[in-house]
Amino acid sequence: MSADIGYEFAFGSYEDAVRMVGARTEPRFAGTAVSAARIQHFAAMVQDGNPSYWDPDFATREWGGLVAPPALLMGLLIPPPWLPTEAPRVAGLAIRVPLPGTTFINASNDAEFLIPILEGDRLSVVEELVSVSPEKTTKLGVGHFVETCESFYRDDGTLVATNRNTLFRFTPAAQS
Amino acid sequence: MTWDEIFAPADLPEVVDEITYQRVVMNAATTWDYFPGHFDPAYARSQGHPTIFVNTMHIAGFIDRVATDWAGPRSRVVRRRMRILGSIYAGDSMVGRARVVEKRCDKTSAATRYLVDLEVNVCNQRGELCCPAEVTLELSR
Repeated sequence: MSADIGYEFAFGSYEDAVRMVGARTEPRFAGTAVSAARIQHFAAMVQDGNPSYWDPDFATREWGGLVAPPALLMGLLIPPPWLPTEAPRVAGLAIRVPLPGTTFINASNDAEFLIPILEGDRLSVVEELVSVSPEKTTKLGVGHFVETCESFYRDDGTLVATNRNTLFRFTPAAQS
Repeated sequence: MTWDEIFAPADLPEVVDEITYQRVVMNAATTWDYFPGHFDPAYARSQGHPTIFVNTMHIAGFIDRVATDWAGPRSRVVRRRMRILGSIYAGDSMVGRARVVEKRCDKTSAATRYLVDLEVNVCNQRGELCCPAEVTLELSR
């Protein structure tokens, strides 16, 4: 656990990480359904006036309801910043892979949106560890690229989106 | 805009968005991504960054905005591939330059899908390429 980043953050060796490749998680559920407030807070941040996010009449006519911005996909399964329980906040699989790196940064993302995610949908995600690279040196520091694939489902079992993400788990150059 | 009204190749209008500290903090708040590099300048500096920076979701949202502002609200992002080559920091601008590279019919499923492929490059105000992306939009005819 790292207090610095606020998530359960696993440490270990590259060999530990490689042994985890292929691991697939049980479904992890969002604490709440997708809300208009979250949709519009995100759209306001991006300054995107698309009526699919703002106009319930237009969005219902066109899509069946207010649409969650596709770019918010990963955020819909991030737990709130504080929970009123002793249970740890469980973050995505990628940062729970045991590796030496003390921090991370995202490197690439490939998302496919099969059907629109709408206000009221309650999502779950199943994550798989696809690969962990051997040690690499970049301008930021020394570390490993961690590739995961996430499948997002609606309550009724419909697959709504897939998300292949690669992050760089590293120790900053000044600290290594 | 309909699929029939689109021609390839074609350039989209350039979009510039100034990223203030408030926007970066909103980024953490709206996505619930409280990685401290997105809100704590001291942490960001300790990791080798000049200050706090936006996350992948913010850049993705900007890419989608560039695409659907142009194609209209009846278009839908069905796929987005992006690589993060550099960070967008508080005080930077995101500059989106995009072009249509292909239009095609996808007949692999029961209903034909009318698709348009875009290349979207997100640079900072110094012209440094921070995030090359490919976006596929679905439109009606």
